[in-house]
Amino acid sequence: MNNDREPSRNAIGFALPLLIVALVWQLVVSIGLVDSSLVPSPWSIGRTMLGLLSPEPLILSYLVTSLYRMVVGFVLGSVIGILLGVPLGASGGLHKALKPILDFFISVPTICWVPLLLISVGMGDATVIIAVFLGCVFPVTYSAMNGVRSTRKDLVWAARGMGASSSRVLFAVLLPAALPSVITGLRLAVGYSWRALVGAEMLAAASSGIGYMIYAARAFYDVNVMFAGLVLIALAGLGMDYLVMGTLERRTIQKWGAVTKT
Amino acid sequence: MSAFFRHRRLATADWVVPIVALLAVWELISRSGIVDPVLLSSPTAAVGALFDLAETQTGDGYSVLLLHVLSSVGSLALALLLAVSVGVTVGILMGASGRVYRFLDPLLTVLMPIPGIAWAPIFMLWFGFGMPTIIAAGALAAFFPLAYNTATGVRSIDSRLLMAAGSMGAGRREVLLRVCVPGAAPSILTGLSLAFARGWRTVIAVEMVSASLWGLGFMIMEGREYLRPAHIYGGIIVVGIVFLLLEWLVVRRLERTTVERWGMRAPVEM
Repeated sequence: MNNDREPSRNAIGFALPLLIVALVWQLVVSIGLVDSSLVPSPWSIGRTMLGLLSPEPLILSYLVTSLYRMVVGFVLGSVIGILLGVPLGASGGLHKALKPILDFFISVPTICWVPLLLISVGMGDATVIIAVFLGCVFPVTYSAMNGVRSTRKDLVWAARGMGASSSRVLFAVLLPAALPSVITGLRLAVGYSWRALVGAEMLAAASSGIGYMIYAARAFYDVNVMFAGLVLIALAGLGMDYLVMGTLERRTIQKWGAVTKT
Repeated sequence: MSAFFRHRRLATADWVVPIVALLAVWELISRSGIVDPVLLSSPTAAVGALFDLAETQTGDGYSVLLLHVLSSVGSLALALLLAVSVGVTVGILMGASGRVYRFLDPLLTVLMPIPGIAWAPIFMLWFGFGMPTIIAAGALAAFFPLAYNTATGVRSIDSRLLMAAGSMGAGRREVLLRVCVPGAAPSILTGLSLAFARGWRTVIAVEMVSASLWGLGFMIMEGREYLRPAHIYGGIIVVGIVFLLLEWLVVRRLERTTVERWGMRAPVEM
């Protein structure tokens, strides 16, 4: 989906529609067509964000906390996902035995595990990090497994025929062949983890993080803070998807000419 | 049910054995007492909790579990109805006009990474607690894949088909309904299956936070409040099973009766 979009997109073409919408939105609120206590204007959202920045950089510290949880959970989840997925793809028996279980786990929304974590681990960082981990471990396992399984059989046979050992087949043939699928899977997993992070922070973050900020604002009916949180979530989400994962994709699989589209 | 099994082209044993094995190991671990029973209840306890919930009746004599399931599925259905009608319309406009595409693409790109649950506090303020908020958040989450995939589908239609229809005297309406929509159908269905998954996740998640009284998300959260892990595990099992059933019975059936029968490419899954 994401990958199918026009590559020829310049900064002005991207920013102009956003500016137009912001202007119209500002006008509609200023004229009083909508209640500004329900829909704040872009201007007041911006002022709120500055207010959360200036005496002490509250919003920044929330963002850093959220990103820290995201990175720890995501790195753990992707490493373990790849470690699980490769044997699942390489061994027919393991695949047969564990695929139905993986199918089930992948269809359970990550947030469903949070109440269990709240009972066992309690509020705080650990629960959120585990939720992020659970958000990405299954999709990454899946994509690593599929990548290994879809390796062309003739390549494996050729390597075997030339006397490569099993471990050499794994490292020289299967893993490189699985890489495009793994990287596409990682990019998807960023989205899953990000959603898990925000959801888990709303339910389980004791006192910090962007999800916590939005959820806490509910108690004061503070729409400005809620929208400020959404802006941060959108910016951080975009940053991770386009800057980090997009760059990774361009540097690796696109450069190698092995673009896989989902 | 038989269609469900046949379609997977797997012998029943192929997936029954692993699942039963998993349940057996889980039962053994929880019976052995290695893990605190407050944290890990056994599968039999989870199923027992589900039976209890199924047998508990409301004042009107309805099964509590059934009402939770129906509430979640009903919210999802309404959310998808909204998302399909708006998403496909927007997608067709984006696919048909480059200008609309260039205008809306940045907006959707910015809004799409915001998880549905993050809108919940705002929607609670706008629409009130419970169903309206759940449906609105579910619809919003489901809207994006539908709009993008419809747009991609419409853009990928062979322009010769459009010209042929035009030269044979088809009006705009006819071109739209008889060429664009069927031509984009495989893509729209891919969008629908993504929207279905996103919508379900969001509905369950928002049920947990929006102070609703019904729904599987609420049921799971209730299990947490009363420290009843068996209810939570039972809830997770039901959420997974309902999703898989709906996926195979509704989404896959729709694919089989339309695009696959028309001989168009079966949509890619993810």
